[in-house]
Amino acid sequence: MNAPQSIPENAKWVELNFGPQHPSTHGVLRLRAKLEGEIVRELEPIIGYLHRNAEKICELDYYCDAMIYFDRMDYVGAMNMEVGYLEAAEKLLGIPPPERAQWIRVIMAELNRIASHLVWAGAFGLDIGMLTPFFYCFVEREKILRIFAEACGSRQETNYMSIGGVYQDFNEKIIYMIEEFINQFPKKLEDIFNAFVKNDIFISRNKGIGILEPEVAIDYGVTGPMLRASGVEYDVRKAEPYLVYDKLNFDIPVSYKKDNLARFLVRFEEMRQSIKILKQAIKKIPDGPYFNPKAKKSLMIRLRGEGEVYARTESSKGEFGVYLVGDGGVKPYRVRVRSPTFKNLSVLPVLAKDQMIADMIAISGTIDLVFGEVDR
Amino acid sequence: MNVLLRLQHFFAPLGHYASYVLAYFFETLFLVIFVMVVLIAMIYLFRKYMARLQLRIGPNRVGKFGLLQLIADSLKLVGKESILPSGRDDLPFRIAPVIVFMGLVMAFALLPYGSFYWIGSLTVTHSEVSLLLLFAAIAIMPIGEVLAGISSKNKYAIIGALRGVAKDISFEVPMMVSVLALVVMASARTQDPLDLSSLVSAQFIPFAIPQVIGLGVFFIAMVARASYSPFDMSESDSELVSGHSTEYTGMRFGMFYMGLFGSIFLGSMMVSILYLGAYNGPYDSYAGFIYLLIKTLILVFISFTIWLTVPRIRIDKFVNMGWKYLLPVSFANLILAGVLTLGLGI
Repeated sequence: MNAPQSIPENAKWVELNFGPQHPSTHGVLRLRAKLEGEIVRELEPIIGYLHRNAEKICELDYYCDAMIYFDRMDYVGAMNMEVGYLEAAEKLLGIPPPERAQWIRVIMAELNRIASHLVWAGAFGLDIGMLTPFFYCFVEREKILRIFAEACGSRQETNYMSIGGVYQDFNEKIIYMIEEFINQFPKKLEDIFNAFVKNDIFISRNKGIGILEPEVAIDYGVTGPMLRASGVEYDVRKAEPYLVYDKLNFDIPVSYKKDNLARFLVRFEEMRQSIKILKQAIKKIPDGPYFNPKAKKSLMIRLRGEGEVYARTESSKGEFGVYLVGDGGVKPYRVRVRSPTFKNLSVLPVLAKDQMIADMIAISGTIDLVFGEVDR
Repeated sequence: MNVLLRLQHFFAPLGHYASYVLAYFFETLFLVIFVMVVLIAMIYLFRKYMARLQLRIGPNRVGKFGLLQLIADSLKLVGKESILPSGRDDLPFRIAPVIVFMGLVMAFALLPYGSFYWIGSLTVTHSEVSLLLLFAAIAIMPIGEVLAGISSKNKYAIIGALRGVAKDISFEVPMMVSVLALVVMASARTQDPLDLSSLVSAQFIPFAIPQVIGLGVFFIAMVARASYSPFDMSESDSELVSGHSTEYTGMRFGMFYMGLFGSIFLGSMMVSILYLGAYNGPYDSYAGFIYLLIKTLILVFISFTIWLTVPRIRIDKFVNMGWKYLLPVSFANLILAGVLTLGLGI
């Protein structure tokens, strides 16, 4: 009934295909691995299964309409994407946001950074076989999403910020919800943290696995928590402050251990730093207008930009850069995105070479892949 | 008086031969029903307990407290189309899940259950070597899993089967050696220590106290046998999709699933029989079966908690652990048992 499968002589490896539909590829990553027994000798990530032409669609729309496509790039951290796009668009269009809008943006971006890292922590737990912390992470994330829903009516793809400000001002209830969240979150975060690190098997699965040398990381353009876990202290929020990050007091967590565990610890420390930022920001947030009157809703589609700008921001995954070219029309001439996870993913073949299958999955878990952003 | 004899007395008017045949038939039927009820109850308990640990509610739609959810699920599994991969080895692919389930039921048939009020002894099989038979029955289950992995002609399944073999041979030797220590302990007090009932009656104190190392080794082995986290390398869902059961659907998959939960219950029951004094309790009563169930359920919930909180260990580390730590430790435990029994005369 079934023909015997021909095996070439001198066959040394088995080619195994992970994905694009696979439980641990975080969406639609496809990995072609050449296995020698349990050991991955070669790994080739194949991307493009979630390519939606977002950049080109942005070029066909008004400046204000591009926002929703950015929301859908890193759908786990949509606020950070909006900040990234607006940094570029407002520079091009010459419409700076007022002070209060900048503080609101910082608060939302940091809240979303926490939410994004929580999703990562839960998914990483699933990757190495821990089922329970996932739900504890998502319960905390749910509280953040409730804040977003209160601010803009939407939970994940928020479309909250707009050119020249934000869509709606903070009201008393949102401020109260944020204060309540940052009061109770640090304790919950420590609980989640302990659920991971007080487990010997978790440590043994991650310590010394997936070592990323800083030179290699810089060569491949790796940014964000992955780079900082390799011992390079680079964070756009400090290196080239945007919004009001220069008025805030926070630290950049750096680890010199370079392995999976370092990336894990850096992300958790980043959440603690985000809480520190939020605590300051919620106190310092000034009164005033929340949008620039030059970008009223009725004027929005008549905004014209000329020239070219490149703006970079620190999203939860790394350095998120937006390159905009305007030709004086109401639509951008060129939109180009430097997405951090695309660069971070490119280093996976180096990291996973000569590792076991289980470690390869753990390493790809620490990259924090979001395929909306890799493929755009 | 045990169940078999009661049934035989009931059918006695039909003649000697026919009454025994019918008695054995109904006893087997009761056993299969018992195993199915245990499995359905286990899966329900697991889902509720998992939900409670994970801040969820769990099944609550079908029936009161979702009690009928598992019955609905099993009906769904029976009704599903069983998709067969085109490149399969037909016969092994079809019989592999049956082998797993059969090994499970056979193992349940060999356990001493103690007595239960007016019914009397619930033990199904009486044999002088039921301990050996029990481990022989348990050793059948991996064969089904390996057969499933190889006959699926799927790379994930084959890797899962290879891991399963590596895992099985590395924990089964320490497991048998730690059971051997029990036989040594029991041989001082009973004539046939290979009989599970005598092994239980030889436990003047639960063997868990003198044999605590053996208990540890045996429990680890039972976790690995049932293959749930941390030792679920052979069917790790984040790496190998579903390991050896990747290509299975419908009731054939259901049999593997029942094999998993049945193994957890079987392992817990074996630990409580071999180490915790089985049906002996604080009050000498006819409710030995209840004592056994209570001990088993405590162990089942310990197993569930381990399953849900611990990440997966890597296969090479598990094999290392099996050969480099568990095996020497279990041999040291065997020597300890010999010293305790023959040297100190405990």
